[in-house]
Amino acid sequence: MTEAFYITAAELAAKGFENTPDELMSARHLIYSSPATLNFNSPGAKGFGVKRAGLAIPGSVMLLVAPGCCGRNTALLNELGYNERFFYLLLDDTDIVTGRHLTKIPKACKEVCDSLDYTPTAVMICITCVDALLGTDMERVCRKCEEATNVPTLPAYMYALTREKRLPPMAGVRRSVYGLLKPQKRRGDRCNILGYFAPLNDSSELYALLKSVGVATQELSRCDTIEDYHKLSQANFDLVINPEARYAAQDMEKRLGIPYIEINRFYRIDKIHNQYRLLGQALGVEFDDAEYYENAKQKTESFRERFGQLSFAIGENVNADSFELALALTGYGHKVSEIYGTVGERNFFFIKKLAELSPETRIFSNLSPTMLNYERKTHIDITVGSDALYYHPDLPNVPFDEEEQPFGYDMVEKLLAQLSAALEKEGK
Amino acid sequence: MKKLLKFISPLAPDDSGACSVLYELGGITVICDAGGCAGNVCGFDEPRWSTKKSALFSAGLRDMDAILGRDDRLVAKLATAQQQLGRSFTAVVGTPVPAVIATDYKALERMAEKRIGVPCVTVHTDGTKLYDKGEEEAYLKLFEKFVTEKQPTRKGTAALIGATPLNTGLTTADELISAVKAEGFSEVVCIGLDSGLEEIKDITRFEKIFVIAPSGVRAGKFLKEKFGLDVEAKNCPLPEKITEGLKAFSPEGKTLVIHQQYAANTVRDMLGGNAVCGTFFGLDEAAAREGDFHIKDEEDFAEKAKGFDTIIADISLKRALPDHAGKWIDLPHFAVSGRLY
Repeated sequence: MTEAFYITAAELAAKGFENTPDELMSARHLIYSSPATLNFNSPGAKGFGVKRAGLAIPGSVMLLVAPGCCGRNTALLNELGYNERFFYLLLDDTDIVTGRHLTKIPKACKEVCDSLDYTPTAVMICITCVDALLGTDMERVCRKCEEATNVPTLPAYMYALTREKRLPPMAGVRRSVYGLLKPQKRRGDRCNILGYFAPLNDSSELYALLKSVGVATQELSRCDTIEDYHKLSQANFDLVINPEARYAAQDMEKRLGIPYIEINRFYRIDKIHNQYRLLGQALGVEFDDAEYYENAKQKTESFRERFGQLSFAIGENVNADSFELALALTGYGHKVSEIYGTVGERNFFFIKKLAELSPETRIFSNLSPTMLNYERKTHIDITVGSDALYYHPDLPNVPFDEEEQPFGYDMVEKLLAQLSAALEKEGK
Repeated sequence: MKKLLKFISPLAPDDSGACSVLYELGGITVICDAGGCAGNVCGFDEPRWSTKKSALFSAGLRDMDAILGRDDRLVAKLATAQQQLGRSFTAVVGTPVPAVIATDYKALERMAEKRIGVPCVTVHTDGTKLYDKGEEEAYLKLFEKFVTEKQPTRKGTAALIGATPLNTGLTTADELISAVKAEGFSEVVCIGLDSGLEEIKDITRFEKIFVIAPSGVRAGKFLKEKFGLDVEAKNCPLPEKITEGLKAFSPEGKTLVIHQQYAANTVRDMLGGNAVCGTFFGLDEAAAREGDFHIKDEEDFAEKAKGFDTIIADISLKRALPDHAGKWIDLPHFAVSGRLY
């Protein structure tokens, strides 16, 4: 029986992205949806998958048009109060071959709207791999639904088949949920933060820094009403903090004339500082982040002093790029023994840097069938990410995967605080 | 409108049923999908996923695999996994994607067996049917593939077909085994629950084969006809905590029990036989009484449940009957709500 496949950071960097081993490329092997990966390895799974994300517009409902198997796990969202917003038009074996279900969707939409004691602000029609293969023109279907109901109707594409394409499902749904916005007079003092379906932590300094230069922030996830939602198109610019929202930002630029600026989530405080400097330049202002920087720097130093050099294992079900976080922790004087992550063109840059600082770090793919045989072979003091917890249930763990999103220096401080609490609980 | 669900979530689909049967048999099972179906199975319909490891994988199909019908790539991935894990058989479970592109499962089976050198079982599920259909086909295919001859019968032994979490609400076999041993059997196994492929290969040695859900009926019939085994349909044993609660209940007026048919029959018998059984899943006419019915969809459910004073069914179904003013006793069914007992 083969042991769980891994490659060290140094070996992987030496090979280069083009020669990444097949075991690390999900398109080249069977995919192990282990308990470690369930939260992210399915476009309709837990957290904000396409189905839940598609309901980000306040007051909207969703009609899932699919075989029963595609909507089965939606019951998980019932606990969060979504059961009154989900409806299903089930397809049979003839539908999925002939596409005859398309003519039934407007009628189903009408029946759903008529069954409610309120008028929904929008109906999201969620379709799946079947319609991807049938080549369904959903824009047309949505127009037919609007004619039948007088309710705005938008598509949500839960196409698992296209997850590595230019427009993967989670990028597509981000575009869809801003699709009702109409051009209107923009206000110079407002910006939208685009990236996630939950807001940033209130304590993130990003809010305070933008406010200090006279910019108020708006987020879709903080819109309680459809009126709040429509104010999003008053923004002067969009601040994109997750690359998956880039396509939505490009669409808003094209349709609404709202330009966008893209920034990243970093755990390296020097990079955070530099990013605020560059953002200031782009906006023609200067952010004074010195106090935040010093505080975060002091926290990283005192954490290192208090606990000494720790060995980490970092998963990918965490509010971070696993490789960037590994780079940051290494830079703060710790070791990273193992990473369970997805190697991509974008994060290969971090892997190359990591190879210089921590060449022996072992990189595993959560999705490799060989992970069925995973056994710990290195020294690890603490793990980060709920997937890492699955492999090491006996070690202290910080999931750091909450729905509210951390950002900036505040994020670094929050992580260190949670790491301290987890270690203290173990008497360290 | 038919097939429109306004109140309840979709029920467990056929691919989940097939995976449920294959789960503990020790092979490599591939769900022939892009990832979403495997997410539904592993993240929802398979309660053993977090307690019992299984080589259950997604094929990770992408659009061009489907459009070009690249079965050879799937077989190559399966061969690599077999090299890494070394299992005794492989299985491919269908989903809507291969159904749309009309995958030739027979050819896929032959290709896989030729390339990998171990038996391959394919289950032609398409995600549009319910779990019992997938279980039914998986049981049948397994017995057809792996049972070759009649072995000498061992007295006092019994095997249960249909013992999946989706049918029984149980993730281990202890309670089912105890219930059947109490009837005088010295050795009892539940096929596919705390047992593996060997028990399937050796099925002909058992003195008695009990089928505890309609999903096992076709397999039972096959074993009876081909090997002359003593096969009997049996009410599905229920856990003590459920039976204790029901014993204290005295039905008043018309009572409706909804579950998989053989579990519903168990409840009816406990209540003295005065109840009607309904099921969203397969209805075995041989085990049905007059008045028992199959429920086609939510609309049909609302119609057929009219006039009952008491309903014993999974509480998640209650939303579909907003006008029901009578009593409701919760009888969890994993294939409905994903709740274990």
